Order: sequence, then C-alpha cells, then structure tokens
Amino acid sequence: MTLLVVATYPVVGGPVLLGPATLAADGDLFVGGAPVPHAQGTAAMLGAACAALRHLGCEQPWALVAGDVGRGDGTRAVFAALPDALERVQPSVVAFHYLQPIMALMREAVATVERLVPHATLVADAGGMYAAKAAGLAPRFELMTPDVGEVGFLADPEVTHPAYVSRYLFGTGGFDPAELARLAHERGGAARTLIVKGEVDCIVREGEVVARVAEPVVPALEAIGGTGDTLTGLASAFLAAGFPTVDAAVCAARANREAGRAMRATPAMRARDLVAALPEVLRENLCTWSGACAATEAV
Amino acid sequence: MIFRKKKREADPGAEEASGLFLFDQVPDALWAERVLKAAGYEHALVAPPHHLRAGCDLAVAVPRVEQVGAARALEEAGVPVRGWVDDPGSASRPTDLVTVVDFGEHLMVRAGNMKIAVDKVTRTIVNTSGGGCPDIPYLNVELVGKRLDEAPRPKALGYTLCGLMLDRAFEEACALLGVGER
Repeated sequence: MTLLVVATYPVVGGPVLLGPATLAADGDLFVGGAPVPHAQGTAAMLGAACAALRHLGCEQPWALVAGDVGRGDGTRAVFAALPDALERVQPSVVAFHYLQPIMALMREAVATVERLVPHATLVADAGGMYAAKAAGLAPRFELMTPDVGEVGFLADPEVTHPAYVSRYLFGTGGFDPAELARLAHERGGAARTLIVKGEVDCIVREGEVVARVAEPVVPALEAIGGTGDTLTGLASAFLAAGFPTVDAAVCAARANREAGRAMRATPAMRARDLVAALPEVLRENLCTWSGACAATEAV
Repeated sequence: MIFRKKKREADPGAEEASGLFLFDQVPDALWAERVLKAAGYEHALVAPPHHLRAGCDLAVAVPRVEQVGAARALEEAGVPVRGWVDDPGSASRPTDLVTVVDFGEHLMVRAGNMKIAVDKVTRTIVNTSGGGCPDIPYLNVELVGKRLDEAPRPKALGYTLCGLMLDRAFEEACALLGVGER
C-alpha cells in the first residue's frame, strides 16, 4: 500500500528525484535523501502525507519529482521517468500534482499507469487535475481536490484551464459549488469523488454531496499558499492507508481545518506551520472521526 | 468581500474581425504581448480555439487588418510565432473577475483561481496561493517577503496562465494599496 506522488519542485534545472519522502524533525523535506525546498505545492502535499502515514504506521510516501519553474522541462522529465518508477514502486495510489498541464503527456501517463499498475487508485490536484480534465480523463480518477476557483473549470466542458472560466466562477451570482460538482460529474469533468475546498468543504461522490465539513472555521487558510495541497496530501495518504475514499476525504478536510485552528492561522503563516501541527491533531482526533480511522489504527 | 471587473484595454474583437497569433509556449505569448503593446497595436491575450489547444496555451488576438505589421514587429523582436489563424472561432479570454477579502491586517486579492495576500501597512506580500502550474510555487518563493513596490511582476517571472492570473491579482493589490504602476 504505497502512495506515489508525481510532481515538480520549484528549482531551475532540478534533477529527477525518485525515492521515499521524509520529513525531518525541523520540518525540512527530503526525497530520496535530497532536500526539496519548502513552498506551496508539492512540498506541502508531501509534508502532510508524511505526517499522516507516519501517524498511521504506514510506509512513507514515494515521490517522483523534478525541478520545473513553469517551462515544462521538469514535467516532461518526470513523465519520461514514470514507467520505470511505477515498475519499481508498484504503488497502490498514484497522485498527480504540480505539473505543467500538457494533455498529451497526461493521456500517455494514465495509459501507462493502467497498463503497469492496473489496480492503482488515481488522484489529481493542481496541474495534474487541469491536464486530466482537459484531456477528458477525469472520470478515470478516484479523487480530485478542486477549490472554489477550480470547480467551475471542471464543470465547463469548453475550457482547458481555470483562467478561462468566465461562467460558474466564485464571486459571480448564484455560485453553488455543490451544483457545479454535479454538473462536472454529469459532463465528464470530475473524478468519482471530489473534495471542493472552500468556506464549507463539500465531499461529492458521483455528483452527489455526501458530506460537508464546515468546522472549525479558519478563513485565513485560503490565503496561505499550500493549505489546499496539505489537504490533498492528507486525503492521498489516507487512501494509501486503506481508508474508503469518502472517509479519507472527510478525515482530510477535518484534519486540515483542525490544524489551521491549532496553529492559530493568519494569512502570513506557511503551509509548513500546518504540517507541524498535524501530528498532535491526528493523535487527538483521527480515531474518533470515523469507524474506518479506528479500524485502520487498530490494525 | 469586494467584487469587481478589471477594465479592459481596447478589445480588437469587439468592432472588427480579429485573428490570432499562436505560440508553442505561454512565455512567448506574453513576450509578444509586450512587443505589440510597445509598438502600439491593439491586442488581447486569449485562449486559442479548442481544436488548436495542447494544454494551457495562450494566443494573442490582433485586428486582421494589422496582421502584416504586427507579424513584422514580432519577427523583428525575435518572438517565435507558431502560426496565424484568420478566424479564431471559439477563442476566449482569461477571466477578468477580481474579488477582495479584508482580513484586518492583511488584504487578499483573488483573480480567477489565484490569490495574493499583502500586509496593509507595510505593503509586504505575505502569501500567494491557488493555482496548479509549476511556476506558482516558484513565484511563491520569489514574491513572499517582498514589498509590492520592489517585487518583480509575476508575469515577468512566470510562464503559465496561473502566473498571468497571479499578475492580475498583484496589479489589483497595487491599485488598492496605492502602489504606483509597476
């Protein structure tokens, strides 16, 4: 039961790294022993996944990453290395995260995953989600984690990037994330499960809202770069630990918010502050949040 | 929360037929925009028609009647242009909706899926969030901790549409906090 995160890190010309992700006591993150800089994005996601899997006593997540600052070079290098990584790691969950959204590469990557690890569960967020949706592959994914600025993109079959969404956008009249999630499912733009991150986190299964997480209310989390990524990391880790998808989504949303409260979040804080708060939050709450959590911890 | 739409520059598609310059990479489209702006051409950044997209592509629309001169300006500047489309059909523009949240000490400006948070007193960028392209974590590292008047423009460092949307949020934050045009 291994999570493999496929993504990039913000270093010009940074090499391809494949290995277990580890979180040092001071919060620094390493992939295969090499340091990865802290920023919003994949470092935040991996940090949260490390914290969750360590708490559950599971294998640490693996990462396949390369340096990319938006030119797409690292993204291409990562996709080129994906077949070997899949054969070596044999992941049960593959999460596509910060990547240049290139539809052709994502089509090839999903086909490769389905060929080499056919039982793997697919997760997408960030550029991985943009590419999967734009390429018409969203229904083949188990989980996507759009925010309120992205769910309208999933619902609009005409657009290939959230920047082009002119309808269904947060801030426009009648904006309804639950309805947009339903539309996204109906139009083939959504994974089977969505966590729509917002003032209230909506967990949507096959187009129907199955849970809402509204507490605690920590508005500053939206301003902190990477707090959506930590939620994705938590949900991916819980999936890899064997949680049913909806339970993984609910526990991730609760843990993320609770960590935001524990750190007394302000807009000037960092995602690594949230990751640092996770061990205590998980220790105090995870067992009580769902039967699946308790069952998993009892194993 | 405040909602507003950014004022558009002249829209070349509004009154006369326009065509599109296509590019292999978003930075080339942004470069072309700078060249055409400096040369005084009406222009707009848009998404190419659906059948011509490879991912998060960006194209530049100009009035058809000005294609020859605009193409020459781009060639002289060395901008690599992939091609020209006479009839853009379903071309669309990045959203212009901007929303603002006041956190007391901090102001958060959201443009599409991108957000920037700024200390209202010091004008220091305390966070950027949202987005999913690889230049966004890079811009986060490069912008956070700098004042609006000293930070590089996101569109000067970024490469993708997420970077362009962050630039719109940056521009709006400058306007709201009285920082002159960058």
